[in-house]
Amino acid sequence: MFWFLRGIRKGVVTTRYPAAPDPSAARLPTPPAFRVDLLTPDLADLLVAACPPGALRRRDGELLLDLGACTGCGACWEIGGAAVSPSGEFELATRDRDALVKPIRIGGAT
Amino acid sequence: MTEEHRLATELKGRAFSLFRRSLHIRTFDSGSCAVCESELRLLSSPYYDLHRLGFFFAPAPRHADLLLVTGPAVRAADTALTKTLEAVPEPRIVVAVGACALGGVFTEDELVHGRVDAVIPVDVYVPGCPPSPLALLHGLLVAVGRLEEKVQTLDFDLRSAKVSA
Repeated sequence: MFWFLRGIRKGVVTTRYPAAPDPSAARLPTPPAFRVDLLTPDLADLLVAACPPGALRRRDGELLLDLGACTGCGACWEIGGAAVSPSGEFELATRDRDALVKPIRIGGAT
Repeated sequence: MTEEHRLATELKGRAFSLFRRSLHIRTFDSGSCAVCESELRLLSSPYYDLHRLGFFFAPAPRHADLLLVTGPAVRAADTALTKTLEAVPEPRIVVAVGACALGGVFTEDELVHGRVDAVIPVDVYVPGCPPSPLALLHGLLVAVGRLEEKVQTLDFDLRSAKVSA
């Protein structure tokens, strides 16, 4: 009968997003971000071969990251070491599909 | 520009500005694994509570302003998908949700198109596998013009301050 008191004691549980950042956002699976200076052509080829959904492609001197295809699985930061980390970006919605394909410069030496 | 054309554009702009206050969503599953649906269902939970932002799920496409499509667009759903889109009254917004719908997971073959925009025109793309409820909220708010797109400003280089990691 007094279950609502239990609810009131808990206070407001609803997230403040988008007015304020949500605390759970840090734990979401997100696409990778790269240390461009540590990214070598050899590592880039390894990453392309290891990406399960094929979100990574090579174009001369660049690594193309397709955020639309990325599933945030983490295969790239498993093998990439310090060069690859989760980006923490989840607000990726866009009207332009091509804006989701990000060129990553390969800045490391061979 | 003719007078009719100008009035039509103005009316469309007015209709879209009304979407900012209240919007009814119809979801369409074009062969997804149901995890996108699971995340969509969470939007109605007390934690995310999408009703506070004026979004509602509609029971039929004729009641909807926005068609939200998940899945890789299996060819078996072609007729259903095009008919659903036709049933949503103009002006309408189409949102593709998840890596499958954006062309990530499945390649085009005799069973699937592999991407939703091969079948119907898509206005907003929401990446993620699955997109979290927060990402879906961001996508919906981008679709109605209440939030700015962010992805253009990101370069996914860890040395720049443009990535939060």
